[in-house]
Amino acid sequence: MEYKITMPQLTDTMETGKIVRWLKKEGDYVQENEPVVEVETDKAVMEVPSFRSGILKKIFVEEGEEVPVGTQIAVIETDVEKGKEKSSHKEEISKDIKEKHKESKEELEKKVLEQIKQEEEKIELPESSASPSAKKLAKELGIDIKKYQEQGLLPVPAHEKDIKELFYKNFFTKEALEILQKYNLSLEEVVKQIKKEKISKKDILKFIQNNNIPQIVPISDVQKRVIENLQRSISIPVFHIYEEIKTGNIPDIEGITLTVWLIKILGDTMQNHYRTRAKLEGDIYKVYPNSNICVAIAVEEELFVPVIKNVNLKSLKEIADDLNKLKEKAKQRKLTLEDLTGSTFSLSNLGMFNILSFDAIIPPERVGIVAIGTEIRGKTKITFSFDHRIINGREAAIFVDEFKNRFLDKDYLNKLKKEVV
Amino acid sequence: MLYREALNKAMDEMMEKDPSVVILGEDVGFYGGNYKVTEGLYAKYGRKRVIDTPIAENSIVGTAIGMAIGGLRPIAEIMTVNFSLLAMDQIVNQLAKIRYMSGGKIVLPVVIRMPQGVAKQLAAQHSQSLERFFASVPGLRVFVASDATTAYYGLKYAITTDDPVIFLEHTLLYPEKMEIEEEKNFSPYRARIKKEGEGITIVSYLKMLHDTLKVVPIIEKELNTTCEVIDLCSINPLDISTIANSVKKTKRLVVITEEPKTGSYANEIINKVLEEVFYELDAPPLKIGSEDVPTPYNRTLELASIPTPEKIASLIIKWGRKHGI
Amino acid sequence: MSKSYAEQFYYLMKLGRVFELRAKEEYMKGNIGGFLHLAIGEEAVHVGAVLGFGKGDIFVHYREHVYALARGMEPKYVMAELFGKITGVSKGKGGSMHLYDPKFNFYGGNAIVGAHLPHAVGAAYARKYTGDTTGVLASFGDGATNSGNFFEAINMAATWQVPVIFLCENNYYAIGTRVDRASPFADLYKKAKDYMPAVQIDGMDVFEVFETVKKAKEYVETEGKPYFIEALTYRYEPHSMSDTGDYRSPRELKIAKDKDPIENLKKKGLEKGLLTQEYIKFVDDKVQQIVEEAVEFALNSPEPPLEELYNDVFCEVCIDVIS
Repeated sequence: MEYKITMPQLTDTMETGKIVRWLKKEGDYVQENEPVVEVETDKAVMEVPSFRSGILKKIFVEEGEEVPVGTQIAVIETDVEKGKEKSSHKEEISKDIKEKHKESKEELEKKVLEQIKQEEEKIELPESSASPSAKKLAKELGIDIKKYQEQGLLPVPAHEKDIKELFYKNFFTKEALEILQKYNLSLEEVVKQIKKEKISKKDILKFIQNNNIPQIVPISDVQKRVIENLQRSISIPVFHIYEEIKTGNIPDIEGITLTVWLIKILGDTMQNHYRTRAKLEGDIYKVYPNSNICVAIAVEEELFVPVIKNVNLKSLKEIADDLNKLKEKAKQRKLTLEDLTGSTFSLSNLGMFNILSFDAIIPPERVGIVAIGTEIRGKTKITFSFDHRIINGREAAIFVDEFKNRFLDKDYLNKLKKEVV
Repeated sequence: MLYREALNKAMDEMMEKDPSVVILGEDVGFYGGNYKVTEGLYAKYGRKRVIDTPIAENSIVGTAIGMAIGGLRPIAEIMTVNFSLLAMDQIVNQLAKIRYMSGGKIVLPVVIRMPQGVAKQLAAQHSQSLERFFASVPGLRVFVASDATTAYYGLKYAITTDDPVIFLEHTLLYPEKMEIEEEKNFSPYRARIKKEGEGITIVSYLKMLHDTLKVVPIIEKELNTTCEVIDLCSINPLDISTIANSVKKTKRLVVITEEPKTGSYANEIINKVLEEVFYELDAPPLKIGSEDVPTPYNRTLELASIPTPEKIASLIIKWGRKHGI
Repeated sequence: MSKSYAEQFYYLMKLGRVFELRAKEEYMKGNIGGFLHLAIGEEAVHVGAVLGFGKGDIFVHYREHVYALARGMEPKYVMAELFGKITGVSKGKGGSMHLYDPKFNFYGGNAIVGAHLPHAVGAAYARKYTGDTTGVLASFGDGATNSGNFFEAINMAATWQVPVIFLCENNYYAIGTRVDRASPFADLYKKAKDYMPAVQIDGMDVFEVFETVKKAKEYVETEGKPYFIEALTYRYEPHSMSDTGDYRSPRELKIAKDKDPIENLKKKGLEKGLLTQEYIKFVDDKVQQIVEEAVEFALNSPEPPLEELYNDVFCEVCIDVIS
């Protein structure tokens, strides 16, 4: 039996997915639930497991390709005997070839070398090996297309841009060329402007500075999704509450950062305010029992927002562990759909960067976000942003007030500490 | 304003100005035209000038020829280009040739207006584009009206000129909202550069022009180049100098028509460009057209048979990547 | 019937006959090319119709030399057109089948069977529209009455009520197919009689043709409606020079030739004192001379210059736009 693997729907907003890496090759045996492929969605890179055991018979979508959800990406032969037969057959063939290859390796090499020699003499590249305009330009610049094509320095067929590149490359040092690529500059333009026989890295850098030329930085796929989500966030009607909390009372525990404390206290507070655990869906609210909080994590300029689940049921230690695991996964770009969905509130802490206070954007489908500033003399400025469609000012104010007061409640803080120690 | 209203306005103004202008065709009068192009003209000018005819395409053109001989400037409406095949004798053997055969003694200021193209599920006999047939007949001017501006000025020009004009419209453009852009020195014989660019010259007209313009930004992004899009107002004569100059600059040519690819008018454009600027080309010209099948009724098949915006974009991108862009 | 009419009939019919016989000769010499359709035997219809019709637009088929001559077009220019010379009525670009001259309201010369019938209807519409009540003459053969053009045209003429005389020259053969083998009935006027007044006449008698067409002209102009005439006639020659004509028996030909329209006219004219032997002799010599001169003119006329190839495709005003 053949079993089709299709591009899975991995998030609620996903329409297409990109194959990042195949974890199995054609002919490999795949266990049920064993990951076969890594897929990049609008939220993260995720591993996709196989739902059947069998031989991965054929891959239809190559690495780097993006296809719509539902497109067949591979097929598995679940009838293992059949699959094995085929694959073993394949192996036999390749073995056969290898052996033959071994047998006559030296002989073959000789033959090939001879043939190449002969071919060098014989081969007449076809007339159509360059476009008319490429030929015209080559003639003007005194470039022998045939010669360069034989040397592999010009592609077949050669186009005008290839001739230009070949011609103008000679004006640059190797380092200079590397820089040019980053700035997407046309060789021709630069040569015309700098007017030197040999252009060095220094010349280029000076040229860039003098002309204030921007470097072209591609936007990563993750960042593209972030941009899309931010644009969706714009439609949320937001209001802010600016407050200050007394963080000086928080006991020092090794391995428990301020962020962990904040997550825990926020989660506990959310238990008394059902609207902070709600999601707006059409004309209803869905209210979840547990406090699930997503935390903004930055990895090399990219932003991820994984979720810490059931904060209300977890100790500080457990939360700290969760957070570390998620950070590690984010670094390896291995966050799963499970890791990224299900929160109703969000937290962003920039306190470690010495900023007094800031506003944060509510990620789509969240009630609100709290933005944490730097602790100064035991006090920290916080800014809550709320989706007005889910929570009104009064309810939000009562929620923030309770959150604030919990930092003054030493018994409560000590209780949390005890759970860890 | 709607595209069809631009055509109506052109005829209205010309009829107002010149009493020798008359309209004839099936349902053009009392009924107001099957696509409502002649709406209101019957009421305004009466049945003598907006003439309902029997279903007899050959003689609609035939009597129009007679009317021109008798000193009128008739505008014959053939309901759709598909029915013009019934009038081909009058169009090809008579209208196109009488002036020449008479040594220039007889002048036939006749306009034949007709819509063409694939609309929605009208099936094979009502979904054709036939410009190649007309463009290849010496003695006929063939105009195509891609938008309200060319519809308005082009039709007025067609009515004014003393030569027979085949005036092609597109069924799906009739209800499209567009405005007439004022043009001081309009000439249908000049192609219009709808968008300037450096990397690819795209020539098209009628509905395909609109479909192309929709996807030009995608093509430009994917191929990291810019497209120059040229709209034709007349396909015979063809303004080859505008096209050739553009190709000299871009070195690449794409021609998009709705006709089936084999023998389509795109061939003529490509051939003329090759004659003019072969040594300037950096890629073989790309022709995009419908599949070589009668247009199927089924919507999925129908869409598969014609160039759609997606197909236009993907074909150009693939072609560009293959040929050194 | 006045003497002058009979003399005109004789002159034009004889001119036509001699002209065409000479054209046949020149064709055989290779001076005339393409198709050459001769109307020998049908002169009474052509001449009688043109004279009976008088003022107005005429649309004719491709067997139209005698029509053109009767209309007043100069024999030398018509002959030159047959020779394909620049001096021809259509600058040598139309040939035998395409004689046009708006000066004479003469609009062909159409080589597609029946295609000129809607032209006549349109022209009549235009004349009527501009306040001109002059009728229009459209003549065609028996074969045309089986074509779509014919039915479309009589339907439109009758619907729009325009003054067109439909003159059917029934010479019994559409090339080689006898009329009763292509039509359910051989009396072709029946095809039009539900649309308009329709009559059948003897097309070998120029007086009858003349009178009928004259009457029809009065009718279409006063009533503003079409009229149909079927003139029974016969062509002695094959359909064209490239036709053998062997589908007709010698006996049939002899019967037809016994009713020769020119001999018929001579006999009647002499009997009634409308023609004299002197006049006949004078005309016979005169037309020989005219046709001789016409051939001479045609032979000595220059070929069209090569640039003429591109002229007259479009109107002058547009020539500069062709790229």
